Amino acid sequence: MKIVDITINDQKVSAPSGSTILQAANQAGIDIPTLCDHPALVAVGACRICVVEVQGQRTLITACTFPINEGMVVQTESPQVIKARKFILDMLFSQRNHYCPYCEMSGDCELQNLGYRYGIDHWIYPTYTTPFPVDATRAYFLMDHNRCILCGRCERACGDLVANHTLGLRNRGTKSMIHADANVPFGESTCISCGTCLQVCPTGALCDKRSAYMGRDIQTEHIKTTCNQCSIGCGMEIVTRGGNVLQIKGDWDVTVNAGLLCKNGRFDPLYDERKRVTSPMIRKSGKLQPVSWDEALQAVADRIGSANAKEIGVLTSSNSTNEALYLLSKLFCQELKTTNVGLLNPVAPKLFEKSQGSLADITKSDVILVVGADPVKDQPVASFLVKRAVDKGARLIVVDGKDNGLIPFAHMNLDMVDISKAIEIAERAQQPIVLYGAGGTEQTTSALKKLQGKAAFVALEHGVNTRAAVSFGFNNGFTPSAAKVLYTVIGEQDWNGEDVLTKVDETTFVVAQASFLSPLTNRADVVLPTAIWSERAGSLTNTEGRVQKVNKAVEPKGEAKADWEIISLLAGKLGKKLGASLDEISTLAAQELK
Amino acid sequence: MTRVKVATDWLAGCAGCHMSLLDIDERIVKLLEAVEFTSSPVTDLKHPPKEGVTVGILEGAICNSHNVEVAKQMRERCQILIAVGDCATFGGIPAMRNLCGTQEALNRAYLETESVVDGIIPDSPELGKPLDMVTGIGEVVKVDLFIPGCPPRADAFWYALTELLAGRTPVILPRELFTYD
Repeated sequence: MKIVDITINDQKVSAPSGSTILQAANQAGIDIPTLCDHPALVAVGACRICVVEVQGQRTLITACTFPINEGMVVQTESPQVIKARKFILDMLFSQRNHYCPYCEMSGDCELQNLGYRYGIDHWIYPTYTTPFPVDATRAYFLMDHNRCILCGRCERACGDLVANHTLGLRNRGTKSMIHADANVPFGESTCISCGTCLQVCPTGALCDKRSAYMGRDIQTEHIKTTCNQCSIGCGMEIVTRGGNVLQIKGDWDVTVNAGLLCKNGRFDPLYDERKRVTSPMIRKSGKLQPVSWDEALQAVADRIGSANAKEIGVLTSSNSTNEALYLLSKLFCQELKTTNVGLLNPVAPKLFEKSQGSLADITKSDVILVVGADPVKDQPVASFLVKRAVDKGARLIVVDGKDNGLIPFAHMNLDMVDISKAIEIAERAQQPIVLYGAGGTEQTTSALKKLQGKAAFVALEHGVNTRAAVSFGFNNGFTPSAAKVLYTVIGEQDWNGEDVLTKVDETTFVVAQASFLSPLTNRADVVLPTAIWSERAGSLTNTEGRVQKVNKAVEPKGEAKADWEIISLLAGKLGKKLGASLDEISTLAAQELK
Repeated sequence: MTRVKVATDWLAGCAGCHMSLLDIDERIVKLLEAVEFTSSPVTDLKHPPKEGVTVGILEGAICNSHNVEVAKQMRERCQILIAVGDCATFGGIPAMRNLCGTQEALNRAYLETESVVDGIIPDSPELGKPLDMVTGIGEVVKVDLFIPGCPPRADAFWYALTELLAGRTPVILPRELFTYD
């Protein structure tokens, strides 16, 4: 890579050729203010606040779009630049309502910060001239057009990052407005509520309904963790204040999702209204009674200890951590020799021993085969990557039923029996990728093996930590009727239990390690309260095989404990030592997963 | 030594900025050694003296024709005019009226309020006429110094007045005293 030397504010700066002035300045720690620019988005130079003076240039130029060249001399805070920025701010403040005290973003607003930085202590142009509407039709966040500065970040996030193309700009000049589709209310549009626009908005135009007015950024804590909602494992930040979760934000620095989240990850977990299990319970004379952890675990240990290996059944949800699955497999499969173990969700067929690609390959591909998987429904962030590749010209072939969410974007939709046609097309491509899920038949998946070496392969697993659950042998074909003692690790999975509970013998002793009350807890003889996504630490393995950390943001509700901790305590009651601390268990689990 | 004359008045505001001025606490004793408050809404004398003052301080937005007159009179009678608070600088809370329009705000307040029976919109010649737009005072008179904040901090008042007494004209408040809300 060619390195270009330039001078910024009399300081020598070197940056790779092709960098913009803004990128070169950022690298050297020189701060140039921006509004419409965002590191994750394509620069458009719309707001002009980043203007700088470049020797030899006729006018001030935008640092975010102008590439550097050898010997360039740049001034970022010269009197002429400051005068221009103040003028730009005066213009921005003059349109719509940018009066801070009754705005939700006050204190965290990028426009307000620039007002402070450049001493905008009053408005020199008439303001408030036209009232604009507020659109609160979306469930999770609202748009106050009066606060909008038309920077277009939301539009670019929607189009370029999520490839959903819901947002656009309509009208011209002072009448310009962000709108959805053909100017319909946001709530009735093609918006998928991924919230990426909300996360990139620099002002209070987009406002999260749940966390609004709950505290400024400086009053909150941000805990980096991994999303627990599907097998992609997006990096995210949980924003908390005083032990309450306020908001979830995408983590721009994580490779898997690079800041993107979906509705399932960003909003739904915050609106879960299911009733929590808050203390250990034992069924006494037909009713569940709260008891101490010690009593509950002892009761479980007694039943397990007196049963023989064939009488024990273990059923786990894939939202369990690596640590919990490791301990569960050690305790039941190895120590107690249980073979009747099962997983609560279907699993993608195992095609290869070694990894044949990653999610990052999607955007590099020219032909994408989606076989028996519906990422729009099950792994939305992966569907964003697919749609983004389609925008860039990749051909999308969906081999699945007619209700697959990717069909509106696909060039071809084939039945499973026509898999050979899809394979033929992929064979002719430069860089094909196969995304396959549990929906494929044996025939189709074995046919796909033909593309080995040619195509990248990524399994899109159902559930969350399915990959680790499979590695630990939980996808073993569970027989409910054989279990006399049934240990279930359901965690927070929404499972009605019908398919299993009706087949379990009435005398079977059922243990439910669960976060919420459900038909399962109604049937259970012992209920062990389990911490949810925000309350537990550990690690998860994503569908690519990446092991990622989960961090605890808030204290568990009531007496709930992390999934792995409960199994570890149970192992102790059964006299088995399976690792003492979380670090130790994590290391052992990670070794097994390799 | 003659003391510097200061007059204050309020327009469409809430008196909060005057309260914030009083929040300079015991420093006011020291201030009074150098300053004479000729008139203010909270003293017996309400109007700035005809012979003029050095510093005029105005709180509140321009909402009606009366506000315009008060602002203009203060401007004529003072050498240095300071706009204090978000209302005087930006229009502030009263400017929320602009988002619905003056007539709709009057209707809602005097005719459509749930408790009103046979309401009328006050229309006495003694009252100022509501303007179509609520603005900061900078829209009708020249202002020498803006101190935004709702209210501005007591230290912002102290800083501005002591700078003026020292013979310096503060152009923009220092960052730590500069606040929008």
